[in-house]
Amino acid sequence: MRTAVVTDSNSGITQQEAAELGVFVLPMPFRIGDGDYFEGINITQEEFYPMIEGGLPVSTSQPSPADVTALWDRVLGEYDSLVHIPMSSGLSGSCQSAKLLAEDYGGRVEVIDNRRISVTLRRSCLDALALAADGAEAAEIRQRLEATGGESTIYIMLDTLSYLKRGGRITPAAAAVGTLLKIRPVLQIQGDKLDAFAKARTAAQGRKLMIRAIRDDIENRFGGIGLHDVDIDMAYSRDEEAFLPFRDEVREAFPWAGEIHYDPLSLSVGCHIGPGAIAVTATKKQHYGEN
Amino acid sequence: MSRLNIDAATLARMFLAGAKNLEANQEIINELNVFPVPDGDTGTNMTATIMSAAREVAAEPDADMEVICKAISSGSLRGARGNSGVILSQLLRGFTKVAKKHERIDAVTMADAFDKAVETAYKAVMVPKEGTILTVAKGVADRARQLANSGETDADEICRSLIEAAEETLERTPEMLPVLKEAGVVDSGGKGLVEVLKGAYDGLLGKGIPFDAKAPGKQEEQEEEVRIKHAYCVVLRAILRQPLNRKQMSDIRSFLTSVGGDVQVADAGDGISLHIHTDDPGLVLQRALLYGDLRDVSVRDIRTEGHTEPYEGKPLTAENLKLDSPEAEAAPEEPAVPAEKKPIGFVAVCAGEGMAEIFKSLGCDAVIEGGQTMNPSTDDILQATERVNADAVIVLPNNKNIILAAEQAAKMCEDKKLVVVPSKTVPQGIAALVNFIPDDGAEENAAMMKDAIGGVSSGEVTYAVRDTVIEGIEIRQGDYMGIGDSGILNVGKDRIEVTVGMLEKMMQDGQELVSLYYGADVEEEEAERLLGRVNERFPGVDVELQYGGQPVYSYIVSAE
Repeated sequence: MRTAVVTDSNSGITQQEAAELGVFVLPMPFRIGDGDYFEGINITQEEFYPMIEGGLPVSTSQPSPADVTALWDRVLGEYDSLVHIPMSSGLSGSCQSAKLLAEDYGGRVEVIDNRRISVTLRRSCLDALALAADGAEAAEIRQRLEATGGESTIYIMLDTLSYLKRGGRITPAAAAVGTLLKIRPVLQIQGDKLDAFAKARTAAQGRKLMIRAIRDDIENRFGGIGLHDVDIDMAYSRDEEAFLPFRDEVREAFPWAGEIHYDPLSLSVGCHIGPGAIAVTATKKQHYGEN
Repeated sequence: MSRLNIDAATLARMFLAGAKNLEANQEIINELNVFPVPDGDTGTNMTATIMSAAREVAAEPDADMEVICKAISSGSLRGARGNSGVILSQLLRGFTKVAKKHERIDAVTMADAFDKAVETAYKAVMVPKEGTILTVAKGVADRARQLANSGETDADEICRSLIEAAEETLERTPEMLPVLKEAGVVDSGGKGLVEVLKGAYDGLLGKGIPFDAKAPGKQEEQEEEVRIKHAYCVVLRAILRQPLNRKQMSDIRSFLTSVGGDVQVADAGDGISLHIHTDDPGLVLQRALLYGDLRDVSVRDIRTEGHTEPYEGKPLTAENLKLDSPEAEAAPEEPAVPAEKKPIGFVAVCAGEGMAEIFKSLGCDAVIEGGQTMNPSTDDILQATERVNADAVIVLPNNKNIILAAEQAAKMCEDKKLVVVPSKTVPQGIAALVNFIPDDGAEENAAMMKDAIGGVSSGEVTYAVRDTVIEGIEIRQGDYMGIGDSGILNVGKDRIEVTVGMLEKMMQDGQELVSLYYGADVEEEEAERLLGRVNERFPGVDVELQYGGQPVYSYIVSAE
């Protein structure tokens, strides 16, 4: 019984990394101006940001049903079953659509709704891989990942709220953060929508704030787990050089965290977040496949 | 003279005479200023504090000791303004705690009461400083104890000796506080206490300045009589040549109160609207003409028309002024009070409409107009807190002379939790508010905000009101001074250069954002020039320019 792991490009997993890990990544489509693009297929990070900064209208959409089923059919040619882990159902309708499509697959496709995005979604994929390697069936993998989906937290500091406002992807509370003074909004994602967490006037203040918030979540929200039971992952949009000092600060704050994985935000997330964002996440380790 | 044996009526008379004497000497006390900046004046603050108590005492004729003591204590606690006012109110509170238990005050009770006064006031101050009103009070308490121990009972002897002790201690304050010595003055709060004691002694002798409960400041209570007395009802609007500051608005109010009753004045920024009942409409019109052109003037004879009711039209507010100028019409409306009760609300003290807007845009629920030159009272802070629909209210005093009054309000606030974040400057208050995390509790937030305040350097640029030497720096009247968190950082004739020089000394390693808030007396064009200079001098640092509209301070600056 072999179970494959499928996700979408919002996991931050590139096509190349997917091949290395042994997972399958569905490219998310988006539209800039008059052009249709697929993440990691016909547009790169370097090409993308100058286009949206130039003010071209951007819209994202769900993958077409045909593309989803085509990928599944190809994967099921090699595997007995698959788990499909799309981006959080709180942020996109693609999870719901995938569930409908899966009804036609007679239990061979399990769609996992565990409300993750970016590097925390990537963690779910790694967990699923470990479970699959351990011989877990698709339904069991779904059940276990959905039960632990909420055990992760994301804080992200934006350079500006304007991209998010354009896309209507935030709660009214977060949209109201705009003030007379220049403010760097710090948002949190815990499963569903982005919500306002706090404000900072300088990047240094915002970085400090996020580290404190992560520490607080680990100590309080995850409920007394050992520190070695947490993975710290990070993400950024566009400017890696400006991001790296933050990675160093986080490493210093959580010396037990081991190697900190970080990715550029996927483009279909990046078009809502805008360039210059930095994020830190904590996810409870599941230790699948270790015993 | 006779044996010291003060009954309730005598205590009331002494207290009122003490209050009047403090009021009579407030300008002299105001002059005892260490920093040569136009600022929160000790004489004014102490007078406002004691007058609040005096009005309560005057409203209780023929009361017993307990009632008089309660009036003194609660009136001064609520009316306390500025640090010296808060300390005075605590002295009075302590004194009356002992006095209220006795029908008459003799030498021993007097000594006990002064001891309690000193003990209470020292406790109210986080880090009591010697060479201040506290030391003077202590000198008095020590003398009162000595006299009681020595068996002295003569009223004359005791009073004269206590005043002597107060004056001797006051003379020694410059030896205890170097800043006083450098400025060549005695402590202003201590001087205020001396005047209260002197007035009280006069009151005992029956020769003090009689306290007139109907003096200005009492207008709310006297409206009932005044309204019927006056002959004319005057209503008018004035289109202002330039916006009025709070001092001018308060001047207009006191002027109007002095020529009539049932006074209502509303300020809409570029226009004012007023209503008054008076016997001399000419005085009102002339005064209003000083500020601008008059519109919709109406003068009615209210005796013949039987118009004896107070003004019953719509309340005169900025919203319904409907002035002709487009700016007034476009004025943003106050956000409606949210129906939903918030877990945490905010009250901030700041001066200037630009600053008020900034605080409101950051989520502050109520802004008390005030600051260096206008210290709000404990009661002002309590009332603002009351208006905020929240379980807990965080108060940002934004001035070191307002923190004590805010802390006093926190102790007195009953219906909600009031937490003070001791912000000493406006930028510190902004930093505190920016760092608010709605998911956390009030105490947690307050702790975080205190931490955030530590990361902000503040600077303020104002002018010297007299020649002086401070910290070895010679300052001429009219010079601009850049004052940082640690004292005077720069002095000069050009306020742009003074500001840039001040910033050079303020900036700490790793700070990446400079905010410049320009005041009411600065043209936008000059502020833009400063922005250019700062950008040039500190490349790589973000610089933000905002209109604060604050009086007195040309520029308020922060680096973080």
